[in-house]
Amino acid sequence: MKQTLTQSLAWLHTWGGLIVGWLLFVIFLTGSLAVFDQEIDNWMHPELPAHQLTDEQAVERALGYLREYKADAKQWGIGLPNDRSPELRASTGGRRDGLSVTLDPTTGDVLPVRETAGGRFIFLFHFTLHMPRMIGIYLVGALAMGMLAALVSGIVIHKKIFKEFFTFRPAKGQRSWLDAHNASAVLLLPFHLMITYSGLAIFLVIYMPAAMDALFDGDREAFFKAQGATPAALEVKRPENIEPAPLVAIGPLLAKARDVMGPLNAVNISNPGQSNAEIHIRPMTGNQIALIKGGGMRFNGVTGEQLSGPTDMRASVLTHQVISGMHFAQFGGYPMRWVYFICGLISSAMIASGLVLFTVKRRRKYASESRVAQRLYHWVEAINVTVIAGLCVACIGLLWSNRLLPVSMAERADAELNVFFGLWVLSFVHAVLRARMQAWREQLGLAAVMCLSLPLLSLFTVNQPWAVHSNMWLELTSMALGGLLLWSCWKVSQPVVERVPRKKAAVMAEVN
Amino acid sequence: MLADFFAAWAFAYIGMLALCQGLERHYKQVWNKAPSPGLRRILRAAGSLSLVLSMYFCAQAWGWAMGSIGWFGLISLSGFGLLMLLPYRSRLAVWLPLGFVPVWVMITTWA
Repeated sequence: MKQTLTQSLAWLHTWGGLIVGWLLFVIFLTGSLAVFDQEIDNWMHPELPAHQLTDEQAVERALGYLREYKADAKQWGIGLPNDRSPELRASTGGRRDGLSVTLDPTTGDVLPVRETAGGRFIFLFHFTLHMPRMIGIYLVGALAMGMLAALVSGIVIHKKIFKEFFTFRPAKGQRSWLDAHNASAVLLLPFHLMITYSGLAIFLVIYMPAAMDALFDGDREAFFKAQGATPAALEVKRPENIEPAPLVAIGPLLAKARDVMGPLNAVNISNPGQSNAEIHIRPMTGNQIALIKGGGMRFNGVTGEQLSGPTDMRASVLTHQVISGMHFAQFGGYPMRWVYFICGLISSAMIASGLVLFTVKRRRKYASESRVAQRLYHWVEAINVTVIAGLCVACIGLLWSNRLLPVSMAERADAELNVFFGLWVLSFVHAVLRARMQAWREQLGLAAVMCLSLPLLSLFTVNQPWAVHSNMWLELTSMALGGLLLWSCWKVSQPVVERVPRKKAAVMAEVN
Repeated sequence: MLADFFAAWAFAYIGMLALCQGLERHYKQVWNKAPSPGLRRILRAAGSLSLVLSMYFCAQAWGWAMGSIGWFGLISLSGFGLLMLLPYRSRLAVWLPLGFVPVWVMITTWA
């Protein structure tokens, strides 16, 4: 049968969109949450106290601890509190084998914090889907390609992009779903394209290794070294004899680094207490779009002389870092984070509306379809409920488990993940067993109630739950999202009034 | 910065609102009559101008590089807000910009 281009693309959009849409919704929703990964992390560590330490005071506290307990370590690391996190960390050893503790900002002693999956889990899950090795990263890359295909095919088959730019007609069943899907896709099209493309570009070396293989014989180390700048600056002559020497006062170095680079993120000291000591001060990545890799300023640890400054990136590296930076949204402060967060949520809703639309379009025809088709649609419905409502339940369930599991429990972070994935599996079982509308209603309702009551949970399980302001904001946001979930739960419960006359509906079905 | 940010958002909303009202369907949706071609042209021009102003305030708040990213985001978000408001409270959607003025005054006096 000969088909027009539009028809073939509509077919691609419908079935391709269904297949990639499920996991894309998961990626987009967790990605939106990951915009506030640090804030989620703070919330999951309710032991962290609020404080007003300056960088200088924080470094003094951490050095006090490191001098007393880790005097013979080769590497000291200090994670500074910043706008987003009140946590002061001290670590020893390298990035891989290092040990890290959280310090009490007032006393400088070790602060016991609960073990938790943390906001970091949401961030990692967003692009690995908790799969081992590189499987998740490749899968997410393939899905991003699918997203681009769905976007382009969607643009082509949407015939009235400008005429229906602002059109949303609620309470009209399938018409409303299609309107919502189209309008949210079109209005946020720049965001959809940007976030999908930049997401792919982050891992370009992983997805397209050919160039690296050809130019560097597949040697990753050499490749990354070639990306770095100004090796000349590092050729500083070393003292020949290494002997004990006191560490230079860090305060002035911090001030100097802050003048040059803006807010600071971390201080690393190698060979502390010896004549070849070196101090490496790293900035926050917030005052420019590009991510900074291995940037920062190095100082001689004894004389305080600057060894190397923040280096300019080569144009090609800078391009890649800017595109990646557009995805990570570390720039522009909280206003930009909110823009990304809300855009991400609307994108998730756009994908969800597409998934729902697939079934809404077919519900009317259920009775006339063959048994196999009926089975298929039943499973599609169940997976839709699991992916959309079930993931909401699992995510808020992760936060609940953080408060409800015993604080001193062994393997506590894993237990939290068990709750997350356990709830998700239960949601699937529930969605298969219950009738379709009940499943939607009950799971959306459960997620809504859990979101809305999050502040109560904190109130009963934590001392001073809102001492750190970001915790209060997180709970307010959770309540707002709970309100939206409740609203959608209520909307789902409403009987659908099909006011669309039959003839018009047939035309619509053809268009999309 | 907060005042610039708010101004950027407000002009993005006003711009999208004017462009939207420049379409016959949505003008009818609010006023129950068709707009004259001249009015439609004025609305569209005003909408574009407002979006340009929005970009200027984005640049004030974030700088030109970050500002242009934020500008796209704010246009999309205000357009989506308008989309959701129109079918439920169409008059409110049109008169909402009047509410921006006191908010902007409050922000500038506080910050």
